[in-house]
Amino acid sequence: MNNTAPILIFFTSIVILLAILTAVRAELTRARGGKILAFVTLAILPLLAVWAGVHEQLERSTSTRFCLSCHVMHDFGESLSLDDKAYIPAVHYQNNFVPRDHACFTCHTDYTMFGDYRAKWRGMHHVWVEYFGKIPQPADIKLYTPYNNRECLHCHAGARKYEEASSHHKNPDMLAQAASNKLSCLTADCHDSIHDVANLKGNTFWKESN
Amino acid sequence: MAAPIEHRIRWSGLIIALGLIVQSCTLFWTHPLSFMAFLLIGCPLVAAGILLYLYSLASHHHPSGAESEAPR
Repeated sequence: MNNTAPILIFFTSIVILLAILTAVRAELTRARGGKILAFVTLAILPLLAVWAGVHEQLERSTSTRFCLSCHVMHDFGESLSLDDKAYIPAVHYQNNFVPRDHACFTCHTDYTMFGDYRAKWRGMHHVWVEYFGKIPQPADIKLYTPYNNRECLHCHAGARKYEEASSHHKNPDMLAQAASNKLSCLTADCHDSIHDVANLKGNTFWKESN
Repeated sequence: MAAPIEHRIRWSGLIIALGLIVQSCTLFWTHPLSFMAFLLIGCPLVAAGILLYLYSLASHHHPSGAESEAPR
């Protein structure tokens, strides 16, 4: 529960009490003051409460804890703690290159106009599969589409370390190719150590200090 | 006996309260199921309650309105 949740719960409780009061004492709405109270209680305040609730729920759905709460994602969460500097998700997670509490969302949501909503829609499908469908093995879980460099360049584009890295100048137009997504950052022999959940056993893991 | 508008307002208030109770409960748990419960149960209940209230206003014929239209 974050800091805003208690405030929202308190506000919602007040609205619930007012709605119940209006329901129990509906005859109050015969008077002018009662009509105004009913309009505020049964239209304005519930809309505000739902709007705040939607905001809170959408915010929560971007948290790492939320993504890893499905059992099938456990190994992916564990892969973030792998003690291997070549392992891209682990390096990003352990060095705060992505916010730890929003790690999955930062790299796996399309940075496009409807990226957020598309992710939510797919997430709802995942919940359906988790409870009513055939749950795949973690190693069989693949992305819907090949990983787009756009998601990497959202942070790395323009960064000195990225632009001046010698490995990024093996070909003269390598950066341009990466920018146009013609050459994937995850190409073999480049940054190809991604969530390799099938081979987690036997590795050492970094322990996060509290 | 309660007027039809009061009957609808009563139901509207109860449905909205129920929807908001569901919403409050989902705030105690960060989980996809909680998100789904909010989206598929809480929100529709509140929306239904608000719509019922608005319908009760729109469909209400005030007796004094009928009197004012009558020839004097």
